[in-house]
Order: sequence, then structure tokens, then C-alpha cells
Amino acid sequence: MLFNSVEFLLFFPLVTLLFYLLPHRFRWVHLLVASCVFYMFFIPQYILVLLVTILIDYVAAIYIERTEYRQKKILLVVSVISTCLVLFIFKYFDFFNQNMLLLSHRFGFYYPEKAIHFILPIGLSFHTFQSLSYVIEVYRGNQKAERNFGIYSLYVMFYPQLVTGPIERPQNLLVQLRENKVYDYDNLSKGLRLMLFGLFIKMVVADNLAVYVDQIYADPTRYNSWSILTGLSFYSFQIYCDFLGYSTIAVGCARSMGYNLMDNFKTPYLAKSIGEFWQRWHISLSTWFRDYVYFSLGGNRVKLLRWVANIMVVFILSGLWHGANWTFVLWGFAHGLVYVTETLINRVTKWNYSERKGFSSIMSVMLVMKTFLVVTFIWILFRATDIHQVRAILGSIRHNFHVVDDFHVDRKTWAFLTVFIVSDLMLFNDRFDRWCSRLQWLPRWTIYAAMIFLIILFSSVNNFPFIYFQF
Amino acid sequence: MRKHKALLVRIGVVVLLMAVYQVVYTRFFLEKDLQQHSPIINLVRKVVDEHAEIVYVGESSNLTFRVDDLDKRRISEFVAEYYPSIKTRDITKEACHAGVYYQLLRNIPATSSVKTVVVTMNLRSFDAGWIYSNLETALQKSLVLLKDHPALYNRLMLSFKGYDIKSDAERERQFRDHLKSDKFLPEGSFSYRSAADWDYDLAMTGKKNAAGEYDKALTELACHYVKSYAFQIDTLHNPRILDFDRIVELAKSRNWNLVFNLLPENVTMLDSLVGDELLGMVKASRDVLVKRYSKNNVLVVDNLEKVSLEEFVDTNWTTEHYAEFGRKVVAHGVAQALKRFYPAAYHQPSFTTGKTTEFFNDGEGKTPWGQQQTLTTDQHFSGKYSSAIGRDEQYGLTFESSVRRLPDSLKVVHVELMLFQIAEVPDARLVIEVSGRKVEKHWMPVAINGLTDKTGTWQKIQYDCKLPRDFDEADLVKIFVYNPTAAMLYADDIRIRFEK
Repeated sequence: MLFNSVEFLLFFPLVTLLFYLLPHRFRWVHLLVASCVFYMFFIPQYILVLLVTILIDYVAAIYIERTEYRQKKILLVVSVISTCLVLFIFKYFDFFNQNMLLLSHRFGFYYPEKAIHFILPIGLSFHTFQSLSYVIEVYRGNQKAERNFGIYSLYVMFYPQLVTGPIERPQNLLVQLRENKVYDYDNLSKGLRLMLFGLFIKMVVADNLAVYVDQIYADPTRYNSWSILTGLSFYSFQIYCDFLGYSTIAVGCARSMGYNLMDNFKTPYLAKSIGEFWQRWHISLSTWFRDYVYFSLGGNRVKLLRWVANIMVVFILSGLWHGANWTFVLWGFAHGLVYVTETLINRVTKWNYSERKGFSSIMSVMLVMKTFLVVTFIWILFRATDIHQVRAILGSIRHNFHVVDDFHVDRKTWAFLTVFIVSDLMLFNDRFDRWCSRLQWLPRWTIYAAMIFLIILFSSVNNFPFIYFQF
Repeated sequence: MRKHKALLVRIGVVVLLMAVYQVVYTRFFLEKDLQQHSPIINLVRKVVDEHAEIVYVGESSNLTFRVDDLDKRRISEFVAEYYPSIKTRDITKEACHAGVYYQLLRNIPATSSVKTVVVTMNLRSFDAGWIYSNLETALQKSLVLLKDHPALYNRLMLSFKGYDIKSDAERERQFRDHLKSDKFLPEGSFSYRSAADWDYDLAMTGKKNAAGEYDKALTELACHYVKSYAFQIDTLHNPRILDFDRIVELAKSRNWNLVFNLLPENVTMLDSLVGDELLGMVKASRDVLVKRYSKNNVLVVDNLEKVSLEEFVDTNWTTEHYAEFGRKVVAHGVAQALKRFYPAAYHQPSFTTGKTTEFFNDGEGKTPWGQQQTLTTDQHFSGKYSSAIGRDEQYGLTFESSVRRLPDSLKVVHVELMLFQIAEVPDARLVIEVSGRKVEKHWMPVAINGLTDKTGTWQKIQYDCKLPRDFDEADLVKIFVYNPTAAMLYADDIRIRFEK
């Protein structure tokens, strides 16, 4: 089920109403059933895949808690490998297979290609990582193993964040699932506000931008360099609005039932460096990689070369997490490279420009623009279907300055983008629900009314699924 | 309690807002949205605005023609020619089916002048391939704004994708699943349990060509026929049945005469490729439909087997696209059925449904010959127009026909026309041109002044031309008046007769 679907418009109020009507002891059952229904709207039989992941980590965590030392480590490794194996089969097998085939052909070995061609279970990477974080936290002793299979299943399957996160930690979500949530008007209204804002930026901003992005990426050679650059910057906003929209709806949805999920974004395009960008973009994933991969590799308490290698490994894995394609690997690599370069420049020059106080505002604006430009160009690797498309885009930017094209962005799209940029600047280090609650009744309701109107009337009628669904 | 009250007040405000939005949307945005997302509504509006009495509703079968058709008119236009005194219009959109027709017909106001509706009934639209077609998403999207709900609600449904929206992969999966799960009944009465089994067996066995070799293209075509026609209509669950039922109900409520036009299928090809068993299935489906809707007071025109193999435009796929005579045959069937409602208005049309040797053009622009742009009101023998040849157009109204549309072994063509010339035009010619890939081009002109020398008045000229010996092997015959000078000639009431 999609958040921007008619089904969800009925599902959400029904589930929330029932949640508050039911006594506390039945609520987790209710939410679990609702989450199953939510998930099964895609491909129903894939719930079994989810069940396998849940079962592996549920059992593993209990045994990990009971055992010690080497046995504990073995159990952790077995659990992580088994969970990742499911991910590998569904997401990476064909990619791995194709590359092995190419490699073997290069060395003169030929064998028949056996592709699986599974449709990727929705949100597989997200709930796999959420499940892994639980096992690792139990292993580290930061979290007690959950004995109630139903509540643990709900932790992995909690419907607001089931398909595209935020990737929660057990210390935050699992604990809350046991709490008795009393109906609170403030929670409900804040949740609804967030959902409204999320729907607005997804359906009105992101989806209207998507039309132009698709146009450019379909055949970049037809377009003028400026049109392509416009399309590329539109993609930066499209993916941001799309993912921020989904995350905001997810947070709002959980909030309306009294659950607090972590914020996934903090105005990332106002970052002055790539390092800061990653502190503000997809926070739940970047902190996951930091806590469970980067720190495990030694973090920054190692020699310079090892540190560079650690960073590159984390970023490349992060790229691969997004998709089984070399473009994603290169996307991660590019981010890693820029991150390492920036950090080394800071170390050598001692500028530390992104955090330095006393920088003039003009300098800050220039740094923000620099980061935005770098991120925008690296997004090409993320959006392109293959390397040929990346080349076509870069080549067209270089050569098409005099090409006359029919790329025309309508005024309403510019207007929505402007509204979003202004709102993003206003919400710097803040959140829409908190910002709204400081307003008087009239302006607040004017904003709601305008948003509802715009969502109904100006949402793109084309179907643009949430970009992160494919991961 | 206070918080609850506040919540209720807020819900009230939202409801009020929605009412205001409904007004604003309908007043300022609806029309633009309709033009952008549901332009199909314009077809309905045209029918209403032009006060049509008979409406022909169809899909590509009404639009498609073969390049060599002399008369490229639609089925609905042929039908109209049988009832010249009754305004007949069509609503035609490619890939449509009864579900779409229903929504379109529903948008015809009850107060309109429409009295009779002819709805195309395509047998293949009942099969899984069409039901789970990947065109369905776009079709359903185009209908959302036309549904019988408040305009704002419809827009909400469009924004929140409240229609049958599925990816191509999902539709393909549904289609494959259906082929497997839709078992033929009663069990054991067919050689195969399902279309999937049949398709598989046929693909494995393969079809052989005339030389007895395995023919991949032929095998694929045979398999495609199986996938398209090997089904039994489940009258309880088939969505198309439900759609046609809704059309019947709608027609009853609007007091319309209802005709279902069951389109011809390429049964000859089907029989030769797959065999009797599939043909029997097709006929059984036909019988189900005819019986079901005849009982419901619908006039069902059974055209299923009326069109011959050579009249199908596509021979390498299953379509309901007909060449000229095929369309005329369908139109004839519909026109005969309409006699029940309009016995007095029935009129014998100028065309025939078989190969003909006589052709006539009264110069009024209704008969689709070439060079229609030469028609002028400057002079006329009958009606209001004649073809002006000379200063602006050197070639007059042109008869153009594929030779295979004419009977074999023709020897002579007799041309008769009314001509007006202000002064003699020595260079003007009546031309008979025969051409083809296998024959030399024959340009057979005769000087106009050799046929008449009268000026300033309309006069009949006649000419008999011997056709070349290789005429049967030619592809195209053209007959026209040619005048390379600035002096004007006018031609009207052109009659052409081929003789053996």
C-alpha cells in the first residue's frame, strides 16, 4: 500500500481509530495485523520472506543473549549471514551472476546464465537492516532480546516505517511498542500535520518535478546544456522531496498513535560540506553504517590510509545497499572520494571550513552552493540506469550549449519548487509540526487549507512510485 | 472533552473547506483538467452538440483502413449512409472496451437527442489478454474525471491514483495466472485443461509451413490465437459482461434503442491455424453473448463470421481491423438491424458490399475520390459542386482503385461525365492510368476536344477505353480529367463502368 493512495486514505484512519479504541494489551496484535495487510498489498506471498528474516533474528537474538564469548560471536555471524543471504538472493544474485558471467567470459569460461529475476520484495533492504541492528544491539548488550515473537515481528514490520524507513533502533522503537499509548490530541494533530506536509512535498513538489527529470533522462542528447542542468537540479529536489515526503508521512503516521520515530532529514541541502550533508541526509541509514560498519572497522582511530579505506568501504557499501548496479557503487565511491578529499584538505589546511564560526554569510552561501552542486552531479550516477546514460548526460552538458530544444517548465512547477525551498530554509533545524504549532490559529489553518487544496488539485496524475521503494 | 470538541470543530471546518473547494474546482479548474486528462469527453460532447440521434460507439475497428481502400470511410459513416435523414455520429477511441463505453455513454445527458446506441462488441475484449492489457491503466486514468461523483472527489481519486493502476509486469503476471487457472468446463470435454496448456503444447509441437518445415512465425501466431480465443465466458465474473450489463441498464433508464455489434473475427485463419476445437469455442462464446443480450431486449448483430480472410488488414496478428468491403459488410449488418427502429428512413446506399464494376461520383464531396480540393460552387450540373480543373489544379476529381478490388478479366472501361468548358481546351485530356509493380505503366489519354466541341454549356461526354491485356496483373487504376492550361474545365456526375 502506498501512502499516497486511496487505500491508505481509508486504512490510516481506520487503523488509528481502532488503535485507540482497543485496550493496550490488544494493540500490538492490531498493529501487527495492520502491518501485514499493509505489506501484503504489494505481493502477498512475500510476507513469507519477511517472516524468514524475522524468525532468524528472533531466534538468534535469544541464543546470543544466553551464550558468551566465541559462541556468541558465531551466532551473531550466522544470524547476520543468514539475514544478508535473503537480501543477496532477492537483490544481488542477478547482479552478481551477470558480473561473474562477464568475468568468466573474459577468461574464456562459458557456462549457461541462470538468472532468478525475482521482483524485489518491497523495502527489503530497510527491514533487513532494522532486523540486523536488533541482533547487533543484543550482541553488544545494549538491548535485551525480545521474547514476545509478536512484538518483535511488529518491531520489524511496524507499518509506517516498514517499506522505506526510517531504519529504527530497538532502543527507540521496541521499547515504545510495549508502552501504553494514551490518546493525546497533540500527538494526533502533530502527526496529521506531518502527514499533510509529507503528502504535499511528495505529491505536489516531487511528482511535478519528476515529469521534467524523466524527460531529460529519457534522451539527454536532445536537450540544451542549460535544460539538462535544470533537469539535474530538479532531480536533486525530486529525490529529496520524495524521500523526505515519505519519511515525514511515516513519522507523522507513527506520531498520530503516540510513537516517535527518528527524523531522517535535517535540511541536507543547507550543508556546507559532504560530511555535513551525510549528517543531514538519510540519517537513519548513515548512522546505521557509522555504528555498525564504520566503528566496527576501527572508525577514525586508525592510521590515515586505513581510515581512508574504512571511509571508502562504508560509502561503497552504502551505494550497493541502494541497488545492485555499478552506478550505485560509483555513486557511493564518488561520495566517499569527495568526503575523504574534503576531510584531508581540512586536516592539512586546518580550515575546517564547514564548522568554522565567523565565516561570512556570503562564504557560507557559497559553500552550501558548492555542496549542492557536487551532490547534484553525483546524483547523476544514482538516477542513471547505466554508465552509458551517465556518459550521455555529461557529454550533452558539454556539447549541447547551442542545441534548441522544447524543454519548458510550467510556472506552477517553479512556484511549487520555490515554496518548498522557502519552507526548507524556514524549517532549518526544525520540523514542520513544531514550526506550525507556534503559529496562530488562522495562519495555521490557512496553510492546511492551501496544502489540502494543492494536494487535491495539483498533484501529478502520473504515477511516480516513491523512489526508495525499489531499495 | 474540550479537546474532543475542538477536534469536532476542526473536522467541521475541513468539511466546509471541501464544499468551498468543490465550487472553486468546478468553476475554475475542472474544464482544464478534463481537456488535459480526459479529452475523450470531447467525443461525447460532439455527439450531443450535433444533436445526433444514432450513436455508434467503437474502437479501432471503426478507424482502421487498408491503404489501397478506395473508400476509406469508417463503419459508422457507412451506417450513416443507410439513414441519410437521421443524424448519425460516432464515439471512437482505440483500445476501448465496454467498461469505457459505459462511462462515455453515461456522460450523454438524458435530455440529449440520442435515441439509438450501437455498441461495438468485440469478442476478444472478453479474453484475459484484453482484460489484463497494459493499456488498461491509461484508459482507466482517462475515465476518472468522468465518473458519477462530485468533481472534487474525482480529482482526489486522480491525485491519489484511485483507479485500476498496475505496472506492466503485474498485468503480465495476472494474464499468465489467468491463462493457467481458467480451466475449461466441463472437465474432459476438451483436449486441454486450460489455454496455458494448449498454448504450451502448440508451442512445443510447432506449426509447419507449406514446405513441411518448422515455422516459428506461424507457431507464434497459432499460439497467439489460442491465447486470444481459448476461453469460455464466465457470465458471473467476466468484467466485460458486467460492463455490457451496465450498458443495458443505462439504455433502459435512458429509453435508448440498444444494438450490440458483434465484430467479425478471422475465423478462417483461426480454423486453419488451430482447428475446429478453438473455432467451436469461439462460436460457443458468440452464442452465449447473443442469447444473453437478445433476452435483454438488445438487438445483437452477429457479424462474427461475416468477413472473409482477405478483408482483414492484419494477417499476422489477431485484430478486428477490416479493409473496405469488410467495413461495409459490418455496416450493412448494423444498418439492417436498425431497420427495426427506422423502417421508413432506410435508404439503399451508393456502395455495395461486394466487388463492383460501377462507380459514380456526383461531385458533392460525399464520395471519397481523390482531388476533392477541386470541388467548387462556381459551376455545377447537379447539386452544388463540380470539379474545377485548370488554373489552380491540373488534375480533376480522380477515381482511384486497387485492381484487386475489381472483378477479374475486365476488358473495357466506360467513362461518362458532364463537362462544362468556357472555350475549347485543346490540351485537356480524359486519362485512364493503369500501373503496378508487375506491369508497365499505361497512360491512356484521350483529348477532350475529340469528345466534344460544345462550349458554354453542360454536356455529356462518353468514352470507352480498352483496358490493357495485363490489367489483371496491375495494382492500380486511376481515371481523371487532366488540364495543363489556365483555361477552366468543370466536370460533374462522373460515372465509371468496367465491362468484361
